[in-house]
Amino acid sequence: MKIRHLLQLFCFALLGLPGFAAQAEEKLYIYTSMKESLIGELKKAFVAKHPDIKMDYQSAGAGKLMAKIAAERESGTILADVLWTSEVPDFYQLKAQGVLQPYVPAEIKALVNPLPEYDGSFTAVRLGTLGIAYNTRLIKDAPKTWADVQKPAFKGAYGIANPALSGTAYMSVSLLVKAFGWPYIEGLRANGAKMGKGSGQVVDDTASGDLLASLAVDYITLDKVDKGATLTLAFPPEMLVIPSPIAIFKGSPNTVAAKKFIDFVLSKEGQTIVANEGTLPVRADVKVPDRFHLPPVAEAMNRAIKIDYKQLMAEKEATIKKFTGIMQK
Amino acid sequence: MNNAGTSRSGTPQILFGLAVGILVIFVAVPVLLIFFNALWVHGRFNVADVVNVLREPDTYKALLNSLILASGVTVTGTLVGTFFAWLVTRTDLPYKGAMKVLFLVPFMLPSFIGALAWKMLLSPRSGYINRLFVDVFGFDGPVFNIYSYGGIIAVETMYLFPFVFIQVCGALERMDPTLEESARISGADLFTITRKITIPLVLPSILSGSLLIMLYSMAHFGTVAVLGIEAGIYNIPTLIYERIHQSAGSFDAIRTGTVLSMVLVFTAAFIIWLQNKVLARGRYQIIAGKSFRPAELKLRGLRVPLLLFCFAYIGFTIVLPTTTIFMVGGLRTYGLPFALENMTLDNYHHILFEWDLTRDAIWNSISLGLASALITMFAGVIISYVIVKMKVRGKGLLEFLGMLPFSVPGSVIALGVILAWSGKFGINLYNTVWIILIAYIARYMAFSLKANSAALEQVHDSLVEAARASGATMWQALRDIVIPLVRPGMVAAFFLIFLPALRELTVSVLLYGPTSRTIGVAIYTLSEDGRFRSRPRSRARRVRGHAGAVRLRQDHDAAHGSGLRRYR
Repeated sequence: MKIRHLLQLFCFALLGLPGFAAQAEEKLYIYTSMKESLIGELKKAFVAKHPDIKMDYQSAGAGKLMAKIAAERESGTILADVLWTSEVPDFYQLKAQGVLQPYVPAEIKALVNPLPEYDGSFTAVRLGTLGIAYNTRLIKDAPKTWADVQKPAFKGAYGIANPALSGTAYMSVSLLVKAFGWPYIEGLRANGAKMGKGSGQVVDDTASGDLLASLAVDYITLDKVDKGATLTLAFPPEMLVIPSPIAIFKGSPNTVAAKKFIDFVLSKEGQTIVANEGTLPVRADVKVPDRFHLPPVAEAMNRAIKIDYKQLMAEKEATIKKFTGIMQK
Repeated sequence: MNNAGTSRSGTPQILFGLAVGILVIFVAVPVLLIFFNALWVHGRFNVADVVNVLREPDTYKALLNSLILASGVTVTGTLVGTFFAWLVTRTDLPYKGAMKVLFLVPFMLPSFIGALAWKMLLSPRSGYINRLFVDVFGFDGPVFNIYSYGGIIAVETMYLFPFVFIQVCGALERMDPTLEESARISGADLFTITRKITIPLVLPSILSGSLLIMLYSMAHFGTVAVLGIEAGIYNIPTLIYERIHQSAGSFDAIRTGTVLSMVLVFTAAFIIWLQNKVLARGRYQIIAGKSFRPAELKLRGLRVPLLLFCFAYIGFTIVLPTTTIFMVGGLRTYGLPFALENMTLDNYHHILFEWDLTRDAIWNSISLGLASALITMFAGVIISYVIVKMKVRGKGLLEFLGMLPFSVPGSVIALGVILAWSGKFGINLYNTVWIILIAYIARYMAFSLKANSAALEQVHDSLVEAARASGATMWQALRDIVIPLVRPGMVAAFFLIFLPALRELTVSVLLYGPTSRTIGVAIYTLSEDGRFRSRPRSRARRVRGHAGAVRLRQDHDAAHGSGLRRYR
């Protein structure tokens, strides 16, 4: 192949790269760790309602998004208008650093608010729950309490995601330690419990039988159950309920559109989409489809282990270190 | 250059300037910027983080692990890569053309996918192969444990040996077989010829390939994260990943991560220095002004056993895991047993025909792969020329700058690129496809430099001197003599960049915007959803894309052959 041909190829390749055309309409850009199916559905419904708003999103793990935001802040401007993940401590930290623009949605009265000292800086838009996912091909007696997975039936095959990589795993571990103390984690390890990479991976491994059970996020498990995985999600009496907050960045040029989006996600229509993905909504008047077998919102809130976010943030490094130390002993 | 009035002697200067400019501005600046930001906080040297990193016992444990894993992978990968390269280029092994293509397949798959496939096959508890041994052959316990140093080294080797394979293939194709023939006439046997003649002559390519394997493995996160966590094996990249992922949106945490990645930079600098020491001891300029035509060694009695060995290797390390992945792609959801009632084509159908992101992603990845591979290939050959052939002060620095981005994890590069190109210095490419292009050039420059340097090491200075003595300008000598002779190196560089760029993940996932999703991002989006089963779909497409790439390579080879004939 001649150099000239390579150059032609090169020009062709450059033509393929889309340019950046200026848009006149209202714009909205969202950073979210919500899965593609949820944010995709919401976008479809939102754009149908507000055709004048050009909405787009970047979905990636919360850790990646926060690293991106850190670099963006360091170099001047945050690109996104709205942030929506499940890492509540991140939001407290951003609020403390004065990066969030408070907005109290009109419908706040109709919502379940799990966040103390609420001032509108960020609002919970769904309630994630974690339980024990177990493989029904291999486990016949459903675990009923958190202590059940310390029994010989689960020896060497109970998994927890790495809390250093997954904020949800960190919060769960921290709440379990708060409720049952470190001996609970040591008991798990004594029974051969393992640390897995991410929240999705431990559920995948449970479905394949590599693990018999795992500390699992509701929508990840229920989505797989929907598709035929032989999994059941059991909720012990003490529930782990972890809200997913949404917030607007200070200095965003699109706050009007951002507010419309938050209002939409909190509306009955938006919350129905959330509930259909197998997570608890924040509205009492929206029901999760029965096939998911999730407890009603009010009951879940009553059974939930109470969260002290300040403590959660202060102890993060120490807790992760101690947990990793125990699990990799 | 488009101006007819420009004097011809201006062209080389412009090209050299352009190449060095690309190297400094695109490749070096982002990484240097992130280190500057890491070490210099509010006008003061960041002592606290440096001390913390140096005092943390984890750092040394991780560094030790990194070195153990990287050395293991480098040794096995170099042996495997060199052996197969020799087998498919210099012997009369049957089906070697097809095998050459098959050996490249692992290079087209993200290694974390490979790690997952192997986990499915060899995990002690439910791995299919272990189950086979226990259930069918009546073993007491699992035979293999993939969650170990050995397991990680084996998996990384399978996916990294093409670094050596591609380059050594090129080197063997362009080496002078008369040397081997004279040894043969003097009565040396096949083994002696290989050991004493062939291997030493292609040493630059072997070393440059193993250097790339070593640096890649040192900075590689995926396989260790998937396979190491159970056994408590971690390395420097997994530590960096953890720090960066706990940033909570503030740059302070990222600083610790980047300070940590300087450990990798120092290690890389040492490895590069070591390689140059080794290379400086020998003479490898084997392409002199003589004719040469490739001669094949007759394997005779070894022909069939070696063929069977290749089939076994390809079957076990390439076909088996790849088939596993495709089978999983057909499952309704990851984790179900492979039974007919659990299989469906919906997944493939959904990704190929329904998911609107797929087409954009494929298009973007192919354009980005082509553009970055071509730019990097041309810039790399010019910079390599400066490094290998010219006597310029500071050329060692050029090489170091070019290798720098490769010695740190991709996420660190991506953060550096955001710092450099999101408007702080007047140019804002953020959220466009251009920023990904720049990041790819930065990340892959090392491949091009290594492949081209190795090729240039073998070109004898006398050729250029002869051209110059006959009145050719520097530029003419370069264009008419050097470039055609190092074309195999350039082609190797192109594929070393194009193939991984097609599936690039770590950098793209931090840089992509609404119009610039790549195949890697699409796969990642699906896998983060806990929808592992959905991944292979885009891979099916990619493999088709690769078939095209492979054809392209054969075209290159044909052109290369004719190009050489002109210089005989």
